[in-house]
Amino acid sequence: MLSNPIIHKEFIGLMRSVRFHGMLAAVAFVTIVLVMIRWPSDGLIDRSGDRAREVFAIFAFGLAALVTLLSPVTPATSIVVEKRKGTLALLLNSNLSPVSIYLGKLAGSLSAILFLLLVSTPAVTACYAMGGISFTSHVLPFYLVLTAASLQYATLGLLVSTLTASTDSALRVTFGGVLGLSVLVLAPNYFLQGIEGPLSGLAVQLQALSPMPSIIEIVGTGSIGNQGLVTESGVILKFLIAAALTSVVLAAATLRRLNWRLLDQSRSQGVITDDQTLGVRTARRLFFLVDPQRRKAGIGFFLNPVMVKEFRCRQFGRFHWLMRLVAGCAVVSLGLACVTTMGSEEWGVETIGTIIVILQMALILLFTPGISAGLISTERESGGWDLLRTTPLSTGSILRGKLMSVFWTLLLILCATLPGYWVMIWIKPVLEDQIRQVVVCLVLTSVFTILLSATVSSFFTRTAAATVTTYSILLAMYAGTILIWLGRDAPFGYSTVNSALTINTLAAALSIIETPGFSEYGLIPANWWFTGVVSGIFLCILTAQTWRLTRPT
Amino acid sequence: MSDAGPVLVTENLTKKYGEFTALDNLSITVNRGQILGFIGHNGAGKTTAIRILVGLARPTSGRATITGVDCLRDSHKIKKLVGYMPDRFGSYENMRVREYLDFFGAAFGIRRKQRRTRIDEVLELTNAAWMQDRYVEALSHGMQQRIGIARTLLHDPEVLILDEPANGLDPEARLEMRSLLLKLASLGKTLIVTSHILPELSRICDQVAILHRGQLKAFGSLEEITRQFRQNRMIEVQLAGAEKIDETVEVLAASGADRSSIVPSSTEAIVRFRSDRSEDELGPVLAALVTSGIPVTQFREVAGDLEEAFLSVTRSGDAAADAAAEGASPKKLDGELAPAGKSAGKSSGKSGPGEARD
Repeated sequence: MLSNPIIHKEFIGLMRSVRFHGMLAAVAFVTIVLVMIRWPSDGLIDRSGDRAREVFAIFAFGLAALVTLLSPVTPATSIVVEKRKGTLALLLNSNLSPVSIYLGKLAGSLSAILFLLLVSTPAVTACYAMGGISFTSHVLPFYLVLTAASLQYATLGLLVSTLTASTDSALRVTFGGVLGLSVLVLAPNYFLQGIEGPLSGLAVQLQALSPMPSIIEIVGTGSIGNQGLVTESGVILKFLIAAALTSVVLAAATLRRLNWRLLDQSRSQGVITDDQTLGVRTARRLFFLVDPQRRKAGIGFFLNPVMVKEFRCRQFGRFHWLMRLVAGCAVVSLGLACVTTMGSEEWGVETIGTIIVILQMALILLFTPGISAGLISTERESGGWDLLRTTPLSTGSILRGKLMSVFWTLLLILCATLPGYWVMIWIKPVLEDQIRQVVVCLVLTSVFTILLSATVSSFFTRTAAATVTTYSILLAMYAGTILIWLGRDAPFGYSTVNSALTINTLAAALSIIETPGFSEYGLIPANWWFTGVVSGIFLCILTAQTWRLTRPT
Repeated sequence: MSDAGPVLVTENLTKKYGEFTALDNLSITVNRGQILGFIGHNGAGKTTAIRILVGLARPTSGRATITGVDCLRDSHKIKKLVGYMPDRFGSYENMRVREYLDFFGAAFGIRRKQRRTRIDEVLELTNAAWMQDRYVEALSHGMQQRIGIARTLLHDPEVLILDEPANGLDPEARLEMRSLLLKLASLGKTLIVTSHILPELSRICDQVAILHRGQLKAFGSLEEITRQFRQNRMIEVQLAGAEKIDETVEVLAASGADRSSIVPSSTEAIVRFRSDRSEDELGPVLAALVTSGIPVTQFREVAGDLEEAFLSVTRSGDAAADAAAEGASPKKLDGELAPAGKSAGKSSGKSGPGEARD
C-alpha cells in the first residue's frame, strides 16, 4: 500500500502546499481558542466536571464543523483536476490499476484529514486535563466518529470528482452532498417524531447516516438543536456502521467510473429543436414551457449582456431550470407548512416558523456562494476576463450584470419559499409584523451573502479557492456565533452573546419569530444596521477591485 | 491618412516588471492591409507587446497608436478599432457558439438585428456556420480558433491581433487558417500575428518583427530579414563529378571558409559551406576554385528562410548577452546585429535577467 506512487505524490503535494499548512495552523488556532474561551479563570475546581464537559462540547462542535467544511475539499477536486490537466489519462495508461489510483487518492485525502485531527490534539488534551471527560467515553468515540465522517465525505468527494467537469462544480456538489449526509437526513425524523408507522421508523434509521446525533450523544449537550436527534441508544455504533457502508458503496461507485470511459465521452453535436421534424418540435412544445434546445433570440438592447451571459452559462441558470427550482421551492415551502402543522399537535406556529426560517437561511447560505463565488474568479480562471476587458463594457456594466444575475435568481427562490409564511399568517394573523421583519432579514442575508461571495471572488483566480473561502467566512460568522450562543449560560454573559449574535441574521430572524433560546435577545435593528453597513463596505471593495481588474496592468 | 498609410505605430515602447524588462524600446510601423508576423522565443515579449496594443497592459514608457488613437489614453476607442484573439480561447460553459457570439456582439453594442446578420457573416467568413449550435467548450481546438477569429471580427475592427492562431492546429486546419488570414488582409484588415510556426508565418507575412529577450532584433519585410542575416547563409558548389571533391574542400578552406562548416557530399558531387561574406567577397572564392581546375558547374546560395534568420538572430542575441555578462563590449556584436528594418529599435543590447510574460 505504502509503495503506491499516488500516495507519495499526493503526500508530497500536500506537504508542499502553503495553503494546507495555513489551514493546519488555522485549525490548531481555532480549536485552542475554543478551549481557551471556556477555560476556568478562577482558582476553584469544579469537581462535578460540568465545566470540563462544557469546554469539550464547544471544542467538539467547533472541530466537527471544521472537519465537515475542510475534509471534502481535497477529495472533491482530486480527480477532476487530474482530468482537466490531462494527467488522469497518463495515470490510467500506466501500470497502476484503477483500485491503486483510487486508494492512493483516498489515502492522500485521508492523510490531510488525519493531519487536521492531529493538530487538534493539544486542545483535546487540555480538555482531558481538566477532568470530567474520559478517554474511552468521550475522546476516543469522538475521534472515531470524526474519522468515519471524514471517510464518508472523502469517498463522496471522490465520486463527485469523477462526475463533474470543473473544480468549483465538484466543490458545490460535494458540499451539497455533505449537507445532505450531515443535516438533511435528520429532517424526516425531526418532522415525523411522535407519529407511528414505518415512515417514522425509516426516518430514525436514516439519521444514522449523520454524525451529528453521535456527537451530541458524546458531548451530552441539551439544547433546541438536538430535539429529536438522540432518540435511542447505540447511535454511535449505528453511525460507524452506516458510515462504513456508505463509504464502501460510494467507493464502489467511484471505482466503477474510474476507467477509460471517463475520458471517452463524445462531444455534443449541438442538437437544436428548430432543426427537428415537425413532430418532434410539436412534442417538445407540449413537454416544455421553455424549450432549452430552441435557438435563442439575440440579447435585447434593454438587457445587460453580462447578466444574460451569466444566466446562460450557469449550469442551472437557463429559464427552464429556474422555473423548476422555483416550483420546487414553492412546493417544499407549502409542504413543510402542511407537514409540520399536521404532524404534531403540540408544535406552535413559532416552531413551524423556526423550521422554515432555518431552512430558508440554510438555502440562502449554501446556494448563494455556489453561484456567486465564481462571478469574477471563473472569468479569470477561464481566460474570459481578458476578453471582457477588450470589449467596450464599463466596469459598472460588468459588475451590475454579474450581481443582478445572482440577485434575480435568489429573489425568485425567496419568493417561492414565501407560501409557508402565508400559511402561518393564516393560522395566526398577529404574526404578520414579525414575518415582515423576518423577510427583511432574509433579504439582507441574501444581499450580504451575494456581496461577500462576489468580493471574495474578485480576489481569487481560482473559483474553488474562492468558494471554500466564502463558505469558511460564512461558517465562522453563522456557526461561530451559534457556538457562543451554546455557551450562553456560562461562561458567556447575556451581553457577550447578544453582541455576538448581532452579526448573525439567522439569529436575528429566530429572535423575531420568538424561537426558544433566541427570543430574549434584542438583535433588531442592530443586526440590520450591521448587515447593511458591512454589505455597503463589501460593495465598495468589490467595485474598487473590479475597476482595478479592468484597468491595464 | 491615405489608404496604405501607417495604421499601427509604436515608439520606444517599454514595459518593466520591477527590475525585469519584458519589452525594451519597441518601435515599429505597420501599414494598412499588411500582415505583421511577430516572432520570438517563449518569454521574448510578444504577448507583452500585444497586451499593450489592445489596452490590457500599461507601458512603462513609450507610446503606441492605432490609426492615430493612443492605445493607453483612448482605450475605449481602441477596443472598437482592435479585434484581439488571445492564445487562450476564453470559453464559457453551457453556451452555444451562436449565443457566445451574440454575447460579444451585444457587449460591443451591436444592435440585435444587425448582430444577427453580422454573426451569419463572420461565421460564413470563417467557414464555421455549421458549428453555430455546438457548445463552445465541446469544440475541438481548431474549431475554437475559428470561432475566436469570428469573435474578433464581429465589430468589424481595423486591426486584428491574433496570438498564436495556428497553435495546435492540424495541417489541414493550418492551411485553412492561412487562407483565412490572407482573405482578411485582402479585405483591408491589418493583421498582427504571433506564431512559433515560422514556415507558416513566412507564407503570409508582409513584414516580420523578431523579438528576443524583450528587444526588437530585426524588423522589415521577409526578404530584407533573410538577406540581412546572411552571415549564416549556405553556399552550394555543384561539381561536374565527385573526383575533385577533396581538393574543393581544401581550396575553400584556403580561401577563408570555416573548415568546420564545409560539408562535402560525394554522392551528389556537391560541397556546401556557410559564409558571412558579401556577394563581392564571394567572387574571389569562385575564382580560386576555377583557377585550381575544379569543374564547377554551379555556385549558388541556398535560399535562406525565416527559420534560419530567426535562429541566426536569436543565437547572436544569446552570444551578445553572454559576452555582455562576461564583460566584453556588446557594441561590436550590436553592430553585427543591426536591425534591418526601417524603424528598428535602437537598444543597447542588454537583456532582462529572466523570462518575459509570454
